[in-house]
Amino acid sequence: MALVTRAEGRMYLTPLVGFLLLFLGFPAIVNLIYSVSTVTFETLRSPVLSGLGNYVAVLNDREFWSSAWFSLRFGLLTASAECLIGLFLAIFLAPLLSKRPVLMAPLMLPLMVAPAMVGLMYRLVLHEFAGPVPYYLFEWFGDSPAFLDINNAFRTLVVVETLQWTPFAFLLFYMAYSAIPLDVREASSLDGASPLEIVRWIDLPLMKPTLVIAFFIRFIDGFRVFDNVYALTGSGAGGSTTSLSIYIYQAFFKEGAIGKAVAASVVLFLASFIVLHGLNRLAGRRKG
Amino acid sequence: MVKALRWIVFAIAVLAMNFPIVVTLITSLKSQRELSTNPGLWISRPTFDNYLEVLTQTSRFNIYAYLLNSTVAALIGTGLAIVLAFPAAYAIARSEAGKRLVLPIVINLRAVPLIIFAIPLYMMYQWLGLLDTRIGLGLILTIVNAPLALVILVNAISDVPVELDEAAKVDGASSLQVMMMIVRPVIRPALVTTFIFGFITAWNEFLFGLMLTTSRAVPMTVGASFFFAASGGGVKWGTASAVMMLGALPPALLGLVMYRQISGSMTAGAVKG
Repeated sequence: MALVTRAEGRMYLTPLVGFLLLFLGFPAIVNLIYSVSTVTFETLRSPVLSGLGNYVAVLNDREFWSSAWFSLRFGLLTASAECLIGLFLAIFLAPLLSKRPVLMAPLMLPLMVAPAMVGLMYRLVLHEFAGPVPYYLFEWFGDSPAFLDINNAFRTLVVVETLQWTPFAFLLFYMAYSAIPLDVREASSLDGASPLEIVRWIDLPLMKPTLVIAFFIRFIDGFRVFDNVYALTGSGAGGSTTSLSIYIYQAFFKEGAIGKAVAASVVLFLASFIVLHGLNRLAGRRKG
Repeated sequence: MVKALRWIVFAIAVLAMNFPIVVTLITSLKSQRELSTNPGLWISRPTFDNYLEVLTQTSRFNIYAYLLNSTVAALIGTGLAIVLAFPAAYAIARSEAGKRLVLPIVINLRAVPLIIFAIPLYMMYQWLGLLDTRIGLGLILTIVNAPLALVILVNAISDVPVELDEAAKVDGASSLQVMMMIVRPVIRPALVTTFIFGFITAWNEFLFGLMLTTSRAVPMTVGASFFFAASGGGVKWGTASAVMMLGALPPALLGLVMYRQISGSMTAGAVKG
């Protein structure tokens, strides 16, 4: 006898499913309809079907492609940097942390602060008069770059994002590393393997699934970045820091180009759907 | 030798990753006058004046309102997410329903850029009169929290021995009674973790707070940026810093107290997701 019948199970799923349908399913339909309509803030409730014009406009918009390029580069760079530094910290600091777990707390603190708030904090940190970083650079080297101008803003944002989210990658790697049984390492060191060899041939292969997952999660979060970029540069710096999320936000709120914003949303949705679908199939194959 | 090196690396990592927080804390403790001459990392005369100003002069920007809005919206967004996710998690862990479709879809939701739904939600909220309300914000935060809540709770319920359910069933309990009176108390720690983690996530949310609120329901993350709007003489860095410290304090405190549980749930969401 099943503990919970299928019918009962469905009943327990209903509240969650209903809520999601209302708050995500309905918006998805609105997205689809409005993306093939002509609509303004004045005619918000009576869109007029007008074909694929919005999609053509988005796909011909140079800004759309430059923001997609920004998101892609930003996601790849930050995910790589976070995973590399996180991996190094996890393995190198493991002997320290396993004896004193409380040291984890300061390493995790950045994850508890809102990215938007961190973005605001960096406005202070990098401010040319009030910020300590330019101050010390002037004191020591007599010069300081303009961190948020058109040439440097991208790099600055990559560093800001990496510093805040490296702890996430570190945390996953540290958990995976700690889960490797000690006797595996001891056995190989008895066989004469050096610490580096153990990392290369024992630890890394065992941690591979976690490495992939961490990279993927960080890539997604970097790709759809909004909060800290918006708070720090507000897509300023000559439009050099417009991520896809910010592109959609601006098309809607600043330009009032509802059709364009919604069409861009649908394009982004399709892109994420394809990527996620591929990854799920990959994961499914791995599980067997 | 290597051990000393580990400590040095640890110190550098902690300082670098927490640098903005350290700078903001230091700045918040400097007087207006010191700020204009000393942007460095030391304080010659620490003062709480900035905090006093933020907490007492509330005519222009009322920090209490932002804190209250964030608290209420985060409580709704976390509580409702758990209320919806717990029965669903029970069904997924203990029956055939939901494994094929609901669980994968909800898990993938974590990876979908939520801005996709933001514009229709904005219109929907306009029609429903939910724009600029705490309830409206709380409902959205429920969506943000639902995926991780479901994963954590499915994992937790799957770890409960089925024999417990069976014994209660033999004694004549219905599945609803088993869920509420047997399973719920057993997975209480997971429920607490979900709540803490969800509260932090909800508190730190920014995008929907920015889009869906304008004055009455503005959350702390959005309200903090108001203090950066230059008022004549440029940004008042001392008060802005005090605001940021106060706004970051609730999730940071929760996180520092519960870091062990949180690291567990983060990896649960990542590894099994």
